[in-house]
Amino acid sequence: MNILLLEDLPEIRTWLKSLVLQVFPQAEVSEAARVHDALALVSAIPFQLAMIDLGLPDGSGVKVVEALRDHQPEARSVIVTIHDDDEHLFPALQAGAFGYILKEQARELISEQLQRISQGEPPLSPSIARRVIAYFAAQNKPQANEIPHVQLTERESEVLLRVAKGFTLPEIGVQLNLSRHTIADYVKQIYRKLNVSSRAEAALEAQRLGLFRRA
Amino acid sequence: MPTAEDAALPRRGARRAFALALALLALWLAPFGPAQAAGLLIDRALAVVSDAPTFPADTPARELRLPDDWSISQPRSAGPVWYRLRFDWAPAGGAIDSPALYIERACTRVDVDLNGQRVHSDEGTPELATHRCDQPLLLTLPPGLLRADGNLVDIKLVGRPLPRVSARERAAGLSVIRIGTYADLARAHDLHALWYDSLPKAVGIALLLTAVFTFVAGWLPTRKGYLLHYALLSASCALCSMGAWMRHGTLPVEVVEWVLVATLPIIAAFAVLFLMRYAGLRVRAFDAALLAQCVVVPISLALAGQNQLFVLANAWNLLLALEVLLAAAAALQTAWRMQRREFWFMLGLLLVVALSVFSYLAAQQGWLAFSPWWRLAMPLAFFTLGLRMLYVEVHGMRSVESEMRSLIEKRIADASAEAERNFATLAELRVEQVTERERKRIAADLHDDLGAKLLTIVHTSESDRISSLAREALEEMRLSVRGLTGKPVRLADALGDWRAEVVSRLGQANIGAEWQMPNEEPPQTLPARAYVQTTRILREAVSNIIKHSGAARCVVSGRVQDGDFVLMIQDNGHGIPMALDGNLDRGHGMASMKHRAKQLQGQCLVESGPGFGTVIRLTVPL
Repeated sequence: MNILLLEDLPEIRTWLKSLVLQVFPQAEVSEAARVHDALALVSAIPFQLAMIDLGLPDGSGVKVVEALRDHQPEARSVIVTIHDDDEHLFPALQAGAFGYILKEQARELISEQLQRISQGEPPLSPSIARRVIAYFAAQNKPQANEIPHVQLTERESEVLLRVAKGFTLPEIGVQLNLSRHTIADYVKQIYRKLNVSSRAEAALEAQRLGLFRRA
Repeated sequence: MPTAEDAALPRRGARRAFALALALLALWLAPFGPAQAAGLLIDRALAVVSDAPTFPADTPARELRLPDDWSISQPRSAGPVWYRLRFDWAPAGGAIDSPALYIERACTRVDVDLNGQRVHSDEGTPELATHRCDQPLLLTLPPGLLRADGNLVDIKLVGRPLPRVSARERAAGLSVIRIGTYADLARAHDLHALWYDSLPKAVGIALLLTAVFTFVAGWLPTRKGYLLHYALLSASCALCSMGAWMRHGTLPVEVVEWVLVATLPIIAAFAVLFLMRYAGLRVRAFDAALLAQCVVVPISLALAGQNQLFVLANAWNLLLALEVLLAAAAALQTAWRMQRREFWFMLGLLLVVALSVFSYLAAQQGWLAFSPWWRLAMPLAFFTLGLRMLYVEVHGMRSVESEMRSLIEKRIADASAEAERNFATLAELRVEQVTERERKRIAADLHDDLGAKLLTIVHTSESDRISSLAREALEEMRLSVRGLTGKPVRLADALGDWRAEVVSRLGQANIGAEWQMPNEEPPQTLPARAYVQTTRILREAVSNIIKHSGAARCVVSGRVQDGDFVLMIQDNGHGIPMALDGNLDRGHGMASMKHRAKQLQGQCLVESGPGFGTVIRLTVPL
């Protein structure tokens, strides 16, 4: 198992590496302190998991998330950050990140989250859920119909709404009479759709800019 | 709303009208006109109807009193008439001044013989309508011809009998004769000329000028009908009163008489039109009738023949006067309704005009003696009216202009006020943008520097205590940044965030959590600071429960009550032990919770006792 660790603070990188090795003892951890180095690693090594800091000396970790999404779709990018606000996290999630971990949490908590993510159970906070709801609501507006439609199913919307109200995923499973795995699948699906829709939007935007440039 | 000034207006108007009427009366009664000249007055003469070249001494003559009016003394005769006057001449001792003869009125032409010698002849001058009728004759008498006594002056008068003229002042007749020194008589002559010639001309010119101005004023801005008609009326009136064009014309006297009468319906039409337009009336039938009248009058004169001229002209004059009177009544009525102030003015002026017109008409019938004032009164009245209307017009234009100006000024003021407002808004927006950017920069710096260092401490410290302190510091920092940069948070969203955090934390600590919130999403918002502080208090309370209470259950409930948000955190633990000083505090962060609540103008109440658990009640104003 190859894991990419992108973190500019040496102490934290060391600490994270030991944590990762504790969770995945067999893993091969490739460390990087800069976006540039991380991108070089992405083009050289196939990763299963990538732990990516956002604020780096030579740019944002979102670029690495995008590179992984484009070149290694199988790799799961996890944002490891000090920012807990959706303004920082949402672009990374749109770019294809599969959840996020707040750095200052206790070792055990991070370990657990990391395990869940690797098992396909990404975390979803109320504020991120609200952001996702707002995003898809805007997508569904008639004037946005030039963008290829990616819509949430009713169940996915239901799950999002409940997360936004502060219910935990196990609670929602009980409420909707669904298994923990099904709920996790919905959340995964929501992340995927967010990414797909964002990519379509970005592609369209790029196309539009390109058209303008040609003209 | 009537003001004191409004109430004063009618009284002031009445005073004005009264003053006008007084002035009018004074003018009428004043012994104005040519002053009595000095010298010898001759008011007796012998008269013979004869066309002989000299006084027919052999024909029996009648003795009559001067002034002589043919229409009275010889109604059937058309002249000419020879008059013989007799006077004695005793020059005052040492008088150097030459003797002279003064005839105030000899309508129309005279030949004058003194003691058989012709001293003046109008022979050869064309027979003009008003020649000598209102132009006095002043003759120097050659002293050589004068005798001490028994001087004879023979005057041959050629004129037109009354029925063949349109106005009595042009009917044949001879005034009293005066003999005196030239200097004395010249004074009387000049005075007469002033009243009958110069003054009417001057007034006429003034009126004509007013007419021009009024015409321009009536034509230019808004095309006011009554001003135009006034201009035409006063112009024609001015020309009439000047009369110069008739006196020195070369037209036959019959034509001049005809023209004079034919002009009257035109003037009257202008007068009626002006008054009706002033009253706001416009009746096409009237207009047509007035026009027709202008045609009918001259035709009727031509048809009636020379001998009916006077009667017919008088009949027409009366009719026209009545027409104007009716129109004046309409104008006055309008003025009374619309502009009280103008009413009094119009009333005074129209009274003057009416008085002069009817005096003139009466004089035509021989009921009144002529007065030079009547020639002046009407043009003067029109002149005053013109000035008044011009004044009103200019005043109106000026008030419109000032209204426009104030309107424009107001617009400009509004526009600049709006510009200022926009500028202020822009400036505010700019300040907000700058502040926002600055906050973001500070937030980024805090995260990058302080956050990174705290994070390093969290994960590298050997001591759990330091580690957890650093973690708390990091959370504090994050909340501070949020309070710094944050926008208001919807209460419903805040409740979602809090629930997720509280329930998952309590769940991890194996404490049963119950979250009781209103079913409806509350519509209120929390300021960023209130959100942050409440989050801290809640977090602290949950930490206390997890660390110290030993509780198995925790109920968190929230509601909006009387504009406050009330959050209650209740556990079934063993309560907070009393400190030595009797306060529930020390190490449980109660002081900081209360302090934070106070910062929000809220309060945080803690109730606790051994075995009862703890209830924290937080009230935050929304």
